[in-house]
Amino acid sequence: MAILEVKNLTHTYGGNTPFINDAVKNVSFTVEKGEILGVIGHTGSGKSTLVQHLNGLLKPTDGEILIEQTNIWDNPKEIRKVRSKVGLVFQYPEYQLFEETVYEDIAFGPKNMGLSGKELEQRVLQTCEIIGVKEEYLQKSPFDLSGGEKRRVAIAGVMAMNPQIIVFDEPTAGLDPKGREEIIDVIFNYRKATGATVIIISHSMEDMAQIADKLLVMSKGELVMFDKTQNVFKNGERLREIGLNVPIVTRVFEALQKRGIEIPCDVFTVERAVEVLKRIKAGDPNA
Amino acid sequence: MLKDITFGQYIETRSPIHKADPRVKMILLIVAIVFIFLSKNFFALGVSVLLVLTVMTASKVPFKMYFKNLKAVLPIILVTSLINMFYGDEANGVLLSFWKITITYDGLSRAMFMALRIILLIIVSSTLTYTTTPNDLTDGIESLLSPLRFIGLKSAVHMLALMMTIALRFIPTLVEEAGKIMNAQKARGADLENGKLKDRIKALIPILIPLLLSSVRRAYELAEAMECRCYNGGEGKTRMKQLKVTAVDYVLSLVSLLFGAGIILCNIFL
Repeated sequence: MAILEVKNLTHTYGGNTPFINDAVKNVSFTVEKGEILGVIGHTGSGKSTLVQHLNGLLKPTDGEILIEQTNIWDNPKEIRKVRSKVGLVFQYPEYQLFEETVYEDIAFGPKNMGLSGKELEQRVLQTCEIIGVKEEYLQKSPFDLSGGEKRRVAIAGVMAMNPQIIVFDEPTAGLDPKGREEIIDVIFNYRKATGATVIIISHSMEDMAQIADKLLVMSKGELVMFDKTQNVFKNGERLREIGLNVPIVTRVFEALQKRGIEIPCDVFTVERAVEVLKRIKAGDPNA
Repeated sequence: MLKDITFGQYIETRSPIHKADPRVKMILLIVAIVFIFLSKNFFALGVSVLLVLTVMTASKVPFKMYFKNLKAVLPIILVTSLINMFYGDEANGVLLSFWKITITYDGLSRAMFMALRIILLIIVSSTLTYTTTPNDLTDGIESLLSPLRFIGLKSAVHMLALMMTIALRFIPTLVEEAGKIMNAQKARGADLENGKLKDRIKALIPILIPLLLSSVRRAYELAEAMECRCYNGGEGKTRMKQLKVTAVDYVLSLVSLLFGAGIILCNIFL
């Protein structure tokens, strides 16, 4: 069952000014429950504008967003309820921390949803357990944490609202490799624990190959491709045309193929590459 | 809501007024304001109107933009002229009178006079902001205040100008940042639009604290970047863009003074 349906979404910035600009043009797609959808595109391709529609921060100029078959703008007064169904983690979410303690900051979202007392406490602790925020951190000031820890706490703040769909805008930007791994683990753990649907914007094709089931490719506000991750990465040429690329490991395999080596090109992760190379070494013709 | 905040309303039309020296423009603005205030009768004010119309046309900025500015201060214009309307000399004839309120011809003409004067003042001031970039304005202010160095305030003038430049430079950045933080907190269910005044003020805390923190962070980064480029205050600093008085400035000054002379003549003879 499709949990999210975007129909003919168009968003125009600067309606009556000379700076009129279609940030998103006639985009339609559906996301199934439990899927991980990656959104890729060049800077300024409309990715961020697109995801801000999903929880009603932006109102479509045209088209509609259906969550569980209900148009989120059916009742504009209830738009805040949509925000607890669709969690949105912005880029550099650690900059939105503000409370005195980590606990209070994580509790901000659920509190806004109307939780209180035991229920609230339980929710916060539950979230911390899922994503690995240590208990001794809870009474610390969020500003005393390291960069990666801050980001984890900020993400916990959104996850604590228990959204069915959670959207991340470049969750690993500016982190070191270890921090990156940790954040990806956090996302996987949350999905495993709650069965939530995940949408991730990223510039890292390697991350995408590793985590996304499906990819949505945007260019100049338009949806260019929407398909399974491996099918999208098979179109290396088209991706390069719009300023994107395939994962580095795929590029290596493409280059090898060009030199006349018989090697498959549908290799998108390092793990798969190792597997394929081993099989070739063993002399398996169907590698 | 945030996107409506504009600071510095510079509009590029490449008119001669745009090319004029900001210092000259600022001084002429003060001169024009003085002349508008000096206009004692409708004839003199008529000359002021001509002056303002000339400037408006020469700036090539659409008249619509000037009227937009007027709309914002319409209440002030209305209140000022209304109050003036009721204080007139009854000896010159009463227009209408009911209950305790009397409107005289005198009061009415004074109200119109006041309204027109305020309108002129606002339009002539907007010309400066429409035709001068905020950076040019600060450069101009720094240059105009530079005589203060004779009383030992040299670095103060430079610092003031630098502070203004930085403040102007960071307004759009902070507006953008505030927008991002607002969206992020809204995404966490913060309610910024509804509720009682007390709740709304409380709802600002999740926005103000991150905004304050990021301003402090930016300030540190900027200071470091400036030090890396050997910034050490105003001493011995030269400018890439030198302010220079050119032909345009002489013409502008001449035109303004001619109108000024006209206003004074009207005041004396009419």
